[in-house]
Amino acid sequence: MIEHKETLVAPWQEWARRSIKGRRLLEAGTYALTEGAIAAGCRVFAGYPITPATDIAEYMSKRLPQVGGYYMQCEDELAGMHACAGASLGGLKAMTATSGPGYTLMHDAYGWSITNEIPLVVVDAMRVGPISGITGAPGQGEFYIARYASHGGNFETIVLSPSSVQEAFWLTIDAFNLAERFRTPVTILTDQVISDMWEDLFIPDDYDGLDFVIPRKHNLMMPFYPVGSADLDVPPNVIGHGTGVCVSAYTHTEEGYDIEEMEAQWAQTFRLVNKIRHHRAELTRYETLGLDDADVIAVAYGANARTVKTGVLQARRRGVRAGFVRLITLWPFLDELFERDARYVVCELNYDGQLVREVMRAAPDKRKVHFMGKSAELHTVAEVVAGLDGVARSGKIPELPYIWTEVR
Amino acid sequence: MTPTAEGRTEILISGFGGQGVIRMGQILGLCAIKQGHRVTMLKSHGTETRGGYVRAQLVISPRYVDSPVVENADVFVAFSAPAYRKFFDFCRGKILYDPEMVEEIRSDAPERHVAVAATQMSKERFNNVLFANMIMLGALTRVAALDYEAMRTAMVEVIPRFHEQNLGALEVGYQLPVLSTV
Repeated sequence: MIEHKETLVAPWQEWARRSIKGRRLLEAGTYALTEGAIAAGCRVFAGYPITPATDIAEYMSKRLPQVGGYYMQCEDELAGMHACAGASLGGLKAMTATSGPGYTLMHDAYGWSITNEIPLVVVDAMRVGPISGITGAPGQGEFYIARYASHGGNFETIVLSPSSVQEAFWLTIDAFNLAERFRTPVTILTDQVISDMWEDLFIPDDYDGLDFVIPRKHNLMMPFYPVGSADLDVPPNVIGHGTGVCVSAYTHTEEGYDIEEMEAQWAQTFRLVNKIRHHRAELTRYETLGLDDADVIAVAYGANARTVKTGVLQARRRGVRAGFVRLITLWPFLDELFERDARYVVCELNYDGQLVREVMRAAPDKRKVHFMGKSAELHTVAEVVAGLDGVARSGKIPELPYIWTEVR
Repeated sequence: MTPTAEGRTEILISGFGGQGVIRMGQILGLCAIKQGHRVTMLKSHGTETRGGYVRAQLVISPRYVDSPVVENADVFVAFSAPAYRKFFDFCRGKILYDPEMVEEIRSDAPERHVAVAATQMSKERFNNVLFANMIMLGALTRVAALDYEAMRTAMVEVIPRFHEQNLGALEVGYQLPVLSTV
C-alpha cells in the first residue's frame, strides 16, 4: 500500500486525549446524541417522535428529569422547536430531534431562532426520501435544506455531521458550544445508520468536570441584539432575569423593536451573515487521508464516509493514488478542502446530487468532479473501489447498478 | 477463527423478529468491548414486528472500524430459512444454523455448515423456545474462539432476568459435542 497521512481537525481530538475517567459501553448513536446533550448542559427537550430519531426523545424523557431538566412531548415538530426556543430564551440550553419530515416543519421556528439569535441544537437523523420515504433506510437529502433552514435569505447556518457513535457524543457537545458562541441554532445532520447503529462508546463519569463545555451566560442589558457587529461570544438574551426582552420575527433594532428601515435591515443582515462568515476558522471540522499525493479524491460525510474510507484504503492497496475528504462541518462549506487540482468522486446518499454541486463550485475544474449517488443503502466498499479505479484509469465511473453518475 | 489482514472479524446474525437476534449481538458486542476491542453493530429489520427478518451485523477489531458493513462474514448465524437464503452470499466462513428453522442447506459447502438445534434443545431443556438464542450464542462463542467467561459476564449485564436459565443455555451451546470437531 502507498503510505498515507491521515488528519482529523475537530476540537474533540484534544478532548478525547485528556485522561477523563469514564466507561466504555456498547450503545446506539441516539444514546450518544442524548448523552452528549446532557453533558453539554442541555436541560430541555421538546419535540415530536419520528423514526429514526424517536429513541432520542425516549432517552431524553428518561434522562432529563434525572438531571433537573424538562421533557415536553409536543403536538408536532413546529411546536417542539418553538418550545425549545422559548426554553432557551428562558435561560436553559435546549435541543430537539427529528427526521426529514419533521425538520421541514421546524423551519418557521428555525428562522425565528436565527433572527432572534437564540442558541439551540436540532438533530436531523436523515432517512431516504422524498417526504416520508422509508423509515429504516438512510438518506442524505437535507444537505441544502439544512443550509437554507428558513426562507427570506440574509443568514448563514451552522451544520455538523458525525460519522460514528463516539463522534456523535463529542460533536453534540461541540454543537452546543457553537450555538452559545454564535448565538444561533446549530443542526446536527446525521442519518439513520449513525443514529440506529451501536458502537463502542466512551462516556465520562462526571459531566460537571468537563471544562470545555461553554456554560450559558445571560445578557441582561441593552443592546439585546448587536446588529452591525460580527462579534462572537455575546451572551444571549434571557427573559425574566432582571429585564424583559423583545423577540419577534420582524427586522429589529438593537433593542429588539420592529422597524421598517433599510439601515436597520442592513445592520441586522450584517450581523446574521458575518458573525458566521468572519469566524469560519472557528467552524472548521474535517478528516482527510492521502491528500498530499492523491490523483483521485473520494468525498463523503456521515455514515457513508465509513465505507467510502475503507474503499479509499483498498484502492491505495491496489496502487491507486486515492485520497479521502470527510466533511464534518457541512455549512459553512469548507471550500479550502477542494483546492487541489485532482479528480473528485463525491459519494452521497441521494440520486439528485447535492454535496457534489458544492464540490463542483469549490474545485478548480468542475469537469473533474464525478458523482456517485446511491439511495437508501450505504455505498459498498466494492462500489467505491470500482469508482475510484475507473476515474483513475479512464476519468470515468463505470456503470454500476443502483449508482447514478449524472448531475445536470 | 483467523481474523482478516486488518484484524477485522465480521459476524452476521439473522432470523425472525422475536428470536433474540439483536440481544445476541448486543451481548457479543459488549463482551468484545470489555476485552478492549472496537465494535460496530448495524441492526436492520423489515417493518414487521413479528415474522420479518432481523439482522445484526457485527464488526470486531483491535482498531477503529471504518466500514461497519458485513460483506464477508467470518461466521454467519442463520435462525430462519429466509435469512439463510438472503444472506448466504455475505459469508465466507462458518455457518451456524438451526435445523428446525433452516431445513434445507446448500449442497456446495457442507464443511462450512454446523447444525445447532438450538430451538429444539431450548424446548427440551427449558420447556420454552426463548433460550434458543443463548444456546446459539454459546455455540458461537466456541466456534469464534471468544472468551467464554467474558461472554457470561456480558450476558448477565445485558439481560435483566432469568440469569440462571440463560447461563444454563449458554453452557449447553458452548459444550455441544458437534463443535469439538469444528
